[in-house]
Amino acid sequence: MTPNTLSSPLTSNRMAVLATFAAIVLAAGAAVAPERIWSNLLLVGFYLTTLGLGGALFLALNYVCGASWNIAFRRVPEAMAVLLPPAGIGLLIVLALGRERYTWHAHGDAGTFWFKELWTTPSFWMLRAMVYVGLWIVFSRVLVSVSRRQDRSGSVGLSLLNKRLGAIFLVVYAVSFSLASFDWLMLLEPMWFSTIWGVYNFAGTIQAAIAGIIILSLLLRKRGPLQGFFTDDHLHDLGKLLLGFSCFWMYIWFSQYMLIWYTNIPEETSYYLPRTQGPWAPLMVLNLVLNWVAPFLILLPKPCKRSGSVMMKVAVLVLIGRWVDLYIMIFPSTMGSTPVFGVWEIASGALLVGTFGWLFIRSFGNAPPVPTGDPLLSESLHYHC
Amino acid sequence: MTGPPEEHSCLLATFDHEEDLLAATSEVHRLGHPIVDVFTPYAVHGLDRAMGLRPSRLTWVCFVFGMAGGLGMLWFEHWVSALAWAIDVGGKPWNSLPSNVPVAFEAAVLLAGFASVFALFWVARLFPGKKYRPVIERVTDDRFVLVIDQADSQFDASQAEALLKPFNLVDLEERVLSTGGTS
Repeated sequence: MTPNTLSSPLTSNRMAVLATFAAIVLAAGAAVAPERIWSNLLLVGFYLTTLGLGGALFLALNYVCGASWNIAFRRVPEAMAVLLPPAGIGLLIVLALGRERYTWHAHGDAGTFWFKELWTTPSFWMLRAMVYVGLWIVFSRVLVSVSRRQDRSGSVGLSLLNKRLGAIFLVVYAVSFSLASFDWLMLLEPMWFSTIWGVYNFAGTIQAAIAGIIILSLLLRKRGPLQGFFTDDHLHDLGKLLLGFSCFWMYIWFSQYMLIWYTNIPEETSYYLPRTQGPWAPLMVLNLVLNWVAPFLILLPKPCKRSGSVMMKVAVLVLIGRWVDLYIMIFPSTMGSTPVFGVWEIASGALLVGTFGWLFIRSFGNAPPVPTGDPLLSESLHYHC
Repeated sequence: MTGPPEEHSCLLATFDHEEDLLAATSEVHRLGHPIVDVFTPYAVHGLDRAMGLRPSRLTWVCFVFGMAGGLGMLWFEHWVSALAWAIDVGGKPWNSLPSNVPVAFEAAVLLAGFASVFALFWVARLFPGKKYRPVIERVTDDRFVLVIDQADSQFDASQAEALLKPFNLVDLEERVLSTGGTS
């Protein structure tokens, strides 16, 4: 391995320095603009947690399907899933700091509704958050550690164990993540509700996770560890998945928007009214372009899905789109009617990239770059799509 | 592709294993002997590359008809609800694009799907009641057959046998086949 590879301590240290520097800037900012810093931290915390969660979800889906194609680069989603404990705990701290804003009466006189008042009681709300994050950490940890144990034993039984755990995790995930996205993002505007909100956030999660897997696998192939393992056929199939989930995201986005637009009831349109007016309207369009129009048109031809440079660019666009998507969900509720973008948002972006890079490189370096003990590894290495 | 069926003198090379078939097909393609078709009991991955087939054009059929379905339906909905017989729904403008999207989407999927399937049937000359005549019976079970066109009269059975022997050739047969529409 040449020095300065993705897995080298040097890059890892640079990422850690970037994250630390961004954290110091944000800490200083908390004195000046606490609301804005909190919104940024919520965005970064949720983004990082769902990237880790997306990695675990990708693992579970492939185990449950009995898939072998992904084994050659499985260490990438595994290393992403290891992000969950630090990212999840960071998010819990951010949530704890902002728990009062989620209460039923935080936004003026909302009338009385015993269930919602109970549901948004800070202690109960915080307890649920800890349960969700705790479940995700436990499942992702076990999935990854079983896979790493297989490196030594090579036992088929461990694949079957992960298949069962994966199936349970998918069910646990579906329920807990729906509730979590209701609790943390939808309740920023407690009077507003959308039953498809959980699916909408799932779509963004898996889409961003696949984009992340594409970028990391390409970098790892270019700089060493996955060279000769991660082939154009793997890239091609990841491209198909990204294309599919971009369309899925658009489908769900439109399903939510169209029903609210059509019925035109004030209690439902309260979400879209500020988000489609003034400077928010172009951001809304940008969101659709980054998450669907661009990936859809670029990824349709087969040669694009097999080209590392094209796929890298599309995946970066999708990850920027994910940021814009979360920004549109969070900032109009917390920061009011004017979009803000400045040093704090740049710092929070640096925190996101730095923390992700630093934690990913560390956890990727803790295990062999390919799961050497998986009985189906050779099938994945000779995979043709 | 189309045109009247032509009589061709062909060589039918039979193999027992997909690895042998793949290697033999690549070799025959590399030497430039025209391959009529390859028959296998199941889809063999990498065979299209070994045969040197050009990428399928079915994706273009799917794309063009999908676009036609989507745009055509958008235009039709606009014509119906804004031009021909303007209807006021809940006070919304007549040309309300979001309300047109679901049906346009469905029409795009429907036309793209039907066009792909029927284009495949057309090109492969498949129709209800078509008789299936396998080159050899066991090609539906456990044998793999590579059909080579004897366009070059120099390339006879003995030469072919010498070439394919290293790939565990099971059987070699000369037969006149009508090849119109199979390529």
